[in-house]
Amino acid sequence: MREHDPKNNGGPPGHSRRDFLRGSGLAAASAVLTGQATAALDEAGAVQEAGPKVVSGEVEITLKVNGQELKATVEPRSTLLDTLRNRLDVTGPKRVCDRASCGACTTIIDGAPVYSCTTLAITCQGKTIETLESFDAGEKGVPHAFHQNDALMCGYCTPGFVTACKAMLDKNPNPTLEEVKKGLDGNICRCGTYIGVLQAALDAAKAMKGA
Amino acid sequence: MALTWPENPRLIGTKIPRVDGLAKASGRAKYPSDVRPEGTLFAVMLYSPHAHAKIKSIDTSAAEKLPGVKAVSTIAGAGTTLRYQGDDIAAVAAETEDQARDAVLAIKVEYEVLPHVVTEHQAMAEGAPEVFKGGNVRKGRAQSKGNPEEAMGKADAAIEGTYSLPVITHVCLEPHGLTAKWEGADKLTVWSSTQAVQVVAGELADALSIPVANVTVLTDYMGGGFGSKFGADVWGRTAAELAKKAGRPVKLFLDRVQEHLAAGNRPSASGKIKLGATKDGKLVAMIAQTHGTGGARGGSNFPLPYVYDVPAFARTHNEVFVNCGGARAMRAPGHPQGCALMEAAMDDLADKLGVDPLEFRLKNLPAGDFRTPIHEGEVEQGAELIGWREKRKPRGQNGGGPIRHGLGMALHQWGGGGTQDKKVNCTINPDGSVELKTATQDIGTGARTILAIIAAEVLGLKPTDIISNIGNSSFPPGQPSGGSTTSPSMAPPCLDAVTKARDAMFKKIAPTLHAAAEDLDLKNGQLQVKGGPVMGWKEACRKLGMASIAETGSAAEGLASVGVGGCQFAEVTVDIETGVVRVKKIVAIQDSGLILDRLTWDSQVYGGVIMGLNYGLFEERIMDPDTGVMLNPDMELYKLAGASDIPEIVVRAYDPPDQKARGVIGVGEPPTIATAAAIANAVTNAIGVRVPEWPMTPRNVLNALATASKEGKA
Repeated sequence: MREHDPKNNGGPPGHSRRDFLRGSGLAAASAVLTGQATAALDEAGAVQEAGPKVVSGEVEITLKVNGQELKATVEPRSTLLDTLRNRLDVTGPKRVCDRASCGACTTIIDGAPVYSCTTLAITCQGKTIETLESFDAGEKGVPHAFHQNDALMCGYCTPGFVTACKAMLDKNPNPTLEEVKKGLDGNICRCGTYIGVLQAALDAAKAMKGA
Repeated sequence: MALTWPENPRLIGTKIPRVDGLAKASGRAKYPSDVRPEGTLFAVMLYSPHAHAKIKSIDTSAAEKLPGVKAVSTIAGAGTTLRYQGDDIAAVAAETEDQARDAVLAIKVEYEVLPHVVTEHQAMAEGAPEVFKGGNVRKGRAQSKGNPEEAMGKADAAIEGTYSLPVITHVCLEPHGLTAKWEGADKLTVWSSTQAVQVVAGELADALSIPVANVTVLTDYMGGGFGSKFGADVWGRTAAELAKKAGRPVKLFLDRVQEHLAAGNRPSASGKIKLGATKDGKLVAMIAQTHGTGGARGGSNFPLPYVYDVPAFARTHNEVFVNCGGARAMRAPGHPQGCALMEAAMDDLADKLGVDPLEFRLKNLPAGDFRTPIHEGEVEQGAELIGWREKRKPRGQNGGGPIRHGLGMALHQWGGGGTQDKKVNCTINPDGSVELKTATQDIGTGARTILAIIAAEVLGLKPTDIISNIGNSSFPPGQPSGGSTTSPSMAPPCLDAVTKARDAMFKKIAPTLHAAAEDLDLKNGQLQVKGGPVMGWKEACRKLGMASIAETGSAAEGLASVGVGGCQFAEVTVDIETGVVRVKKIVAIQDSGLILDRLTWDSQVYGGVIMGLNYGLFEERIMDPDTGVMLNPDMELYKLAGASDIPEIVVRAYDPPDQKARGVIGVGEPPTIATAAAIANAVTNAIGVRVPEWPMTPRNVLNALATASKEGKA
């Protein structure tokens, strides 16, 4: 329920089916089923009690972007990408396919790379949003490795690649070339900068270890 | 003394990271689509859902009343014929993009849907609905040389092949569009994603009836053009009109769907080619009938014969119109098509003659042509790097089992070259800052960086010391970024401007140093007198007093040239059970005269190869003949290579001293020409039968195998 209730974020996590299922073991299968039913009933009861959470029209939300609390007026349908770009002037992430195919809009939410073009802004309240503007632009950072390897041409896909690369290296600081390719397969470049991109990812891994 | 490139350059030709690379890699670079002046409204286009329709009526009144809507502009009024899905109808500007989208949905349009043709097959059928009056097929000018029928009679072997390539779209990652802001009634500033700031300025001034001097087009960065972003376009003019109506800045960039539908494409190409040669491997004649479609615009012709010397030929080309968005120039317009068709036929004929296709190619390069020795040198180097002589087996002799291995090659050529009328300003300020100004722009090739490199070379500074100011239409005339002409057009006036500025500075400060201007020099950030350093650059500039030095440079003889060759080799594996092609390795050898920045040069060649790989393996615009709509106007089903699809790519510059001496030529187009041809030839070599249709998808590969099997060939 936490992910559906914008007013209830940031506080202690509420009881939800997902949390419940995650917490139960396979050995307690019957308990799971019983528990699942209970959770569903709980949820239905809660909805009845509070009324359905319908958010419509414009609402003001606060997003934590690159360490700053930023207020924005959005609609429930507003994507995180459009909110960042059109409301908050955080224009590092780019809008290219607008359908979660090309990765140019990649941002890091609570440590995981996410296509912000298909993420609703109101679901991001209380979460930590990082865009590449916040990355270390010095010699040990990913942007530097991209720059040195000329891993960019027009540069419009580059923010997405840099962000996906950073998220990958945070999880896997010692990737092989094959792992780099897999880690960046959610991104598309039209100018054809992949050779530089792959080398930049490997170089950035080395540089970050030296950090 | 005539201006020349430095004989022993310190920077030119070395690997220098681009001066704006970190801004791009850290998200700080502001693209036109990132700019949002105070009070900006967002505009959204309404475009035709039909391939062919007449607007019976259009009513925007409901849209105008919606919350947030500030201005509506009708582009296609009642009675207008819409000729393709994606054709412009209207645009709405509103406080938010969501509101503008809602308003577009509220525009009531009554369409009279007309019968359409969206494939060439449909368009060429008897009694087909017409895109324009006068028929869907227009005969191009026939080309011929000698008497090909008679010459063909002397051929010891001839092939007749039919080959075809689909329409592909540019897929610029930053969509077409601009942000328009009026300052007063007749002064306009726009931030435009364009490859020609001054063309956009001229077009807008014309459309809005204001002096071009009052229009400033700004393009600090832009997210890809590939030939499709030379003009302001309907949407650009509409954005400016909406901004005027609303009295607020308006930002209008296309959505991805319209980008595919209406913002340009590379025309298709099909050809029935008869090619004959004598048994000693000399071409004697070609007879070719070709056609292609540039949608509702035309422009599908391409060069054929290509590269090789065909003593006698006859060729006709038919332009086919379909109800699809119009073609635009796309990276080496016409050449990838001409190359693919020619090189497929060359390979098929070599196979029929039973000769090595590499030797066959070398034998048929035009004698006496300046490109011939270049091509010969490149082929030799490329053959070595791909292992042609050790690894290549004749067609279809690549073992048993489901995975077949093959090698293929192709040659290309390009003109390029520079214009003579472009200018660069160089200002040296008393504070030591150096600024270059010219109205060209950086489409991603590194134009900003090469200008900085040239200035730094002359002034003994670092490229990052130079403020390379481009992407502003009010600067001195600059070259549009197209046809590999930017570097050869802009590098000479840059060298001239900086050299003049340096000489003017020397003349001015020499007396204060009690030296002659000829005794001064600049090296490693130091001013030298008679070879000995006397002070740092900044201190030397302070001697200018209050006035900056400003000089304008022009083109000069001998600094740039025109015309390149190039060759590429591909190594592939093909699974003959699934039809899946994997490219293992590509070797690209490219000449381009004097290379200014080896790092960005390499990137352009890699990029060209990868774009060619996409053309060879993945890309096609898929139209539904029944509904007339595009089935893949996205980036999911419109396939482009990702990181895992990239093979080993070996890039080599062919630049012996005589090539360097030619001066700057430009390299944007050539490296993308031969890739799709080389891949197809490698696939054919692997599986033993020609795959006549690009791209080399499992479907096309399996179809070719099935056809051959029916004919008892495989």
